Parts: sequence; C-alpha cells; structure tokens
Amino acid sequence: MIPEKLEPFLLDVQKPSRYTGGEVGEVIKDKSRTAVRFAFCFPDIYDVGMSHLGMKILYSLINEREDYWCERVFAPWTDMEDVMRREQVLLYALESGDEIRNFDFIGFTLQYEMSYTNILNMLDLAGVPVLQKDRGEQIWPMVVAGGPCACNPEPLVDFFDLFILGEGEEVNLELMDLYRDMRDKGVSRSEFLKAAAQIPGIYVPSLYDVEYHEDGTVRSITVRENAPEKITKRVMTDMNQTYYPKYVVVPFLEIVHDRVSVEVLRGCIRGCRFCQAGFLYRPFREKSAEIVFQQGMALCENSGYDELSLSSLSTSDHSQIEEILDRLLEYTDKEHINLSLPSLRIDNFSKSVLDKVTTIRKSGLTFAPEAGTQRLRDVINKNVTEEEIMRTCQIAFEGGYTTVKLYFMMGLPTETDEDIIGIAELAQKVVNLFYDMPERAKGKLQVSISTATFVPKPFTPFQFEPQTEKAEILRKQSILKKAVKSKKIKVSMHVSDISQMEAVLARGDRRICAVLYDAWKSGCKLDSWDEFFDASKWYAAFEKNHLDPAFYANRTRSYEEITPWEHIDYLVSKKFLIRENQKAHEEQTTPPCREHCSGCGANQCLGRPCF
Amino acid sequence: MKDYRIIFEKKGISRYISHLDLNRCMLRAVRRSGLPAWYTEGFHPHLYLMFPLALSLGTESICEVMDFRLTEERPDEEILLKLNASLPSGLRAVSVHAPDKQAQDIGSAEYLVTLSAPDVPELNALWNAFLSQEQILTEKRTKKGMKEIDIKSLIDCKEIIEENQILSLRLVLPAGNDGNINVSVVTDAFQKYADKPFSVKSVCRMKIFCRNGEIFF
Repeated sequence: MIPEKLEPFLLDVQKPSRYTGGEVGEVIKDKSRTAVRFAFCFPDIYDVGMSHLGMKILYSLINEREDYWCERVFAPWTDMEDVMRREQVLLYALESGDEIRNFDFIGFTLQYEMSYTNILNMLDLAGVPVLQKDRGEQIWPMVVAGGPCACNPEPLVDFFDLFILGEGEEVNLELMDLYRDMRDKGVSRSEFLKAAAQIPGIYVPSLYDVEYHEDGTVRSITVRENAPEKITKRVMTDMNQTYYPKYVVVPFLEIVHDRVSVEVLRGCIRGCRFCQAGFLYRPFREKSAEIVFQQGMALCENSGYDELSLSSLSTSDHSQIEEILDRLLEYTDKEHINLSLPSLRIDNFSKSVLDKVTTIRKSGLTFAPEAGTQRLRDVINKNVTEEEIMRTCQIAFEGGYTTVKLYFMMGLPTETDEDIIGIAELAQKVVNLFYDMPERAKGKLQVSISTATFVPKPFTPFQFEPQTEKAEILRKQSILKKAVKSKKIKVSMHVSDISQMEAVLARGDRRICAVLYDAWKSGCKLDSWDEFFDASKWYAAFEKNHLDPAFYANRTRSYEEITPWEHIDYLVSKKFLIRENQKAHEEQTTPPCREHCSGCGANQCLGRPCF
Repeated sequence: MKDYRIIFEKKGISRYISHLDLNRCMLRAVRRSGLPAWYTEGFHPHLYLMFPLALSLGTESICEVMDFRLTEERPDEEILLKLNASLPSGLRAVSVHAPDKQAQDIGSAEYLVTLSAPDVPELNALWNAFLSQEQILTEKRTKKGMKEIDIKSLIDCKEIIEENQILSLRLVLPAGNDGNINVSVVTDAFQKYADKPFSVKSVCRMKIFCRNGEIFF
C-alpha cells in the first residue's frame, strides 16, 4: 500500500511498482489483531532485496504466527528518496503503508558491508533516531540486525539495540515472544535489552565495554550486567525439520534473481581459506532429496515462476545431487520450468550432471579457479587442479558450450607476479583445448577473465592478513593485461577504493561507527553502486575521526591480537583459523570435511561428527 | 486447442505495472491458475500470451485485452474463476470472448480523464478555447526523434462534466498500429496552453473501438 501523499508522484519515479506493494504472495493482516509488528528492512533497493532468500524465509516464518506481522521495507532509489524528503513522507512498510517508526521491531539484514550507509539513511528516512543512545527508554522500535555481516557487528554498534547471530529461524521468534511479554508489562528499552542478552545468539553491544591499546589495537572487552562472555551463533541442527516457505512474494518488476529457489544444504565442506561464507555457515547440513523436491514443487506451484534454482554454497556437494536432479527434472520438464544450478564446482562436475542441466538450457559456464597457479590455489585451499579445470572444460565443450567465464582474485596472501601471469596462461590453455578438439562445438569461443580484489574477512584463516594496496593491485593488473595474448580472451578488471572500505568495515572496531556516521552525514549512500560511491567523502570521514583506513585494511595482525569480534563465537575456533593460516603459508592444503575432519569446532552444536 | 480472448480491468495500484511487467505477471497468473495453457513448440517452449493494445503506465482501464490458448476447451465461467483466483489486486478478468477481431482492426480508444483545479469553470473555459484553436501543435516522440504534429483533428471530446473541484473529460483518441496518441500528449499540450495549475487526477481507458466504430473485443 502506498501512502496517499506519495501517490500523485509515483509516475515521476522509475519503476513505481517498487513502492506500491500489492504483489501476489504478500501477507496482509488486521492491524488490530496483531500483537507484534516487524519491519524487515533490506538496506538496498527493492530489485536487490527481493532477490534475497533469507528475507523470504524469515518473512514467511514470522507471518505463520497469527498474531505477528512481518512486512517488507527497502531503500528507495534516489529519485524516490527526493520525493519522500520533499513531501515529508516517512519510510513505510510495503504491506500496510504504515510508517515503520511505530513498529515494534525494525530489523535489518546485513548482507554486505557496503550497504551500511543505507541503514543509517533508512533510519533517518523513517524518522527514527539514527544513534541508539538517542532512542530513549520507550521499548519500541527495537532496532535489530542479523545476517552474515553480524559476525563482526562492531562498526555498527552505535546504531543498533541488538544483533542476532547465526540462523534466525528459532531465535527471531524467541526474541519477539520475550519482547511481547515485557512490553505488555511496561518495561523500558534498557531493561528489555538486559533480558534479551540472556537469549542464546543475542548480542547487546551496550553491555560490553571495549578498551584500546595506544597502538589502536583492542586491549580488552569487558562484560556488564551478567551478559554472556561469549555470544554464540544459533544453528538449525536438522535441515529437514527447519521451516521453509511454501510461497513467496512475486514481484511485478524484474528483480536481480527473478526465480524461486530451494535451499538444498547449508554450510560447505570445502574450506577455501578466503571464503567467509564457507566458515560462517558451518557445519555442513543437507536436506533430503525428498524434502528438496517437495519444497521446490510447492514454490513453483504457488508462485507461477518458470525458473527454479537450487541454492547453496556448493550444490554439487549434496550427497544425493543426482537423485534430486532426476526427481526435479521429471517435474520441471513437464511444467516448462527451467532448473538452474548456480553453484557447481569444477572438480565434481560430472558428465551426467551436466547432461541433466543441459536438457533445459545451454548458457555460458562459469568457473572460479580464484588463483592462476597451483601453488597459490594450494595456499587458498581452493582444491582444484588444472587437470580438473581442463577436464571440466572438455566436458563442457563436448556438451556444446562455447563461452567460459573464469573468476579470479587478486591480492591474495603470498601472491607473486608469476601467479598473475598464471591467470593468463590458464585462460590460454582453455583456448588451446577448444581449438585442439577435433569435433568441437560450432560457434565462436569466448573465454573471459574477471578479477576482483581480495578482501580479508573475519572468521576466515585470512583474517590476520593485510589487504594489498591499490597501487600494487594496479601494477598486477597491468602485468595480467600484458600477459594475455589471445583475442579469444577478454579481460575485465576493476579497481576501486570500495575494496579498501569493504576491508575496513569487515574488520573494523567500534571507532568505525563515527566514521560511518560522518560518511553518511556527508552524503554517502548506495555505496555498492559505482555511480554513487565517493571515496573522497569516506577518506574525509576517517580524517575527521583521526583514524587511518590502512590500520584496518592493510595491516598484518598477530595471532595474539584481540580482534574486535573476539567475544563473538561462530563455533569455528580461533585455534583452527591460526592452524589454517599457518598451513596456507606452508602451501599445505586441507581436505574437504567429508574426507577428513579438520577439527574446526563447528560440530559442537550437533553433538556428533558432521559425517 | 482453443483460443480465448479475455477482457480484464487494470485498476488501483495495478496501473503501475508496466506493459512488459504485465506480460510476466499474467504469465505467472495463468501458470498458477492451473488452466491447461498452451505452450509454443520449438526449442524454448513458452506460454503463448498476446496483448493487442498496450496501455501506458499509470493509466487505469476497464477494457484491456489479452489473448491466450488452452490445450482443451473450458467453460468461460471456469476460466474467469480460475484466473481471478490467481490475479493480484487491481487486475480482474471480466469476460471471455472468441478472438474474432484482429489487433490490426483497432482504430481508437475512449478515455475518462479527470482534472482537478481550484477554479473548475475557468479550466472548462480554457479547455474549450484550447480545442477551438486552428491547430494544436505538440511534440511527439517517434522512432526518429521528436516530431512536431498537429493533434487538433485527432482529439474527439465526447463529453465535459464539471463537478466540484473536478473537470471530467471523455476523450476518444487514435489507438492501434496506425498511430497511437497517449492521453498525456493531450494533457501536456493543454498544460502548456492553459498556463494555469491543474493536475491530472486519473485516466481510465473505457472502451477500445475498431476502425469501423464497433467495440473491439
């Protein structure tokens, strides 16, 4: 529902159906009969946020409770923000059209660091004090956040009442239940926060004091008010019993991932040392083939979508992947549905899996070797050999594919110029393979290389590593450009100060809150959009607060140093991360969890070995 | 196999669904409805839907047309019931017809336009003066860029109603393949001519006509 005051201006903005609600699948409830209202905010525009699976799960989960109402909120694009500020319309929820400042909860999902300024902007647009300390003792709105970036929430502590760590299926409802009881008893915001801190997985930052050494590193993190010393993330132990929605909101406009997806597994067995998701979502847990089939079918039937994707960090690692594909394909073929598998791995990409997928649609193949030489792939534990890459490309070429995209990272720990030249050599070998095939597919081959700057993240073995500085990345890029000889290889590279800001926000401490606030005040928003990111404003905000981005991004951290997130427990132990970091520098690989348990600690929540 | 023509309303917030998005929206609605929809044959089969006349973003309608095909015949009531159970609010199928007339037969459409202004009698007088000009020159976007055209002979104003604060106009404008005039072309030209503040409160397409004057359905 669109607020009446905005309606006359809807035709002045791009894609007005971003702002109207009213889609099939949205949940409308009778306000007078709802006890707790939750505004689920995605800190980016509709087109991006509506593609997010976690929001779909939690939206439906909360709305299954008759007396709770969860609604959706997205950041307006700048044209609409201008209209809202001019007409003095406060940020509203799409379902009811009501201002979210009167909701019980305003909950943000933290998916990527460069969305942080949007959070401040959305709170401001909503008429809610941006700083937690200015919100007073009234218990609502409770401003909360969850999602992967909550693993180091320190750069955001000034803006939130609490953080929800790990998977939200149970803890969100526990939090809402406690809130309802305490609000009905008339308790204050701070009283509620003290009680909420006792729920496992809830982190109330105001109950923790941080002190710093003179060199700027953390000296100590002290707990007050009986809050837990360590806050441990929540995990759903049985994926077959975990709630999954049967319907989703079906958008009018085309969104980034315009399809329904069924999550087939959580976690990852691979242990790539740069990959934060691979550690944050441990332990590895699968859904049965039967459950995947039932959930996928229900979503297609209820939404009318003609594309279904199997979602996870590495779908081909599912132990019953062939059975899942067989069952689903029988259904999707009949119903004219495209089945897509976005996360296939090079090393176990079998001919039969490829055949199954290509019965539906032949598009380009995308591989992520991440590094150009075997040595560096061993360092990052991307357990993929050149042979495997070549074998997979051969299967693909035989299957009629003619475009191959190769993704790499630049600035990885221990990287040398040889590793950069290796990227070009690897791509050249793929080109040669194609032209050496006697019965190659018709059509022109195109191999594209795309590189991104490596960003060290918390809870990975590389959390101790410095990020490579921009000048050095530029030098490496020119080496790569010179090393590419074939016209069949297209190189796309990109350099920006965004990577450094991302590195700062990822491993920042509480002092970054002030930088974030000043950056937003000076106009930073939609930072993940190239056309809006303004590095000079960010650097000015650092200067104003006497902080150096290089201290956060480009410094080697010792194993002993207390991290800003030392009190946050994602089950993966620091001992394990140190062990993995050492192995990286020794160019030693670690086998996938299914082959051998490397003792990361994540299985403590299961009370048994993962496999 | 049987072809059907659906007449549907596009009202309320559904008027903000663009033509391209409407196609996708209807496609999903037909899929959800469980009706035995016909898919094109060939390498990438897709559900066959056809909209003979586009509607501009923001305009409501009570007479939109969509053609589709079912693999087997179904009673009209069943088609309406199943479609309406799966359509989002604002979109509503109202009748089912055999698609006898062709898209090329479409010649014009009638719109109900409401304008709001502080002084409605004054606006009414201006409107009449606007229409009685020798020519009404305006810019129209064409494939070759902006082009100046005279729309005077193209505007057929059937009725003018003065209500409090509202001036309602019943306009018939060319529509279809041989040239389409959007209501906004007329209201923009009038805005320029009147040089007085008024706002377009609503625009609703009421009827689609064939070249021979018959109603198109």
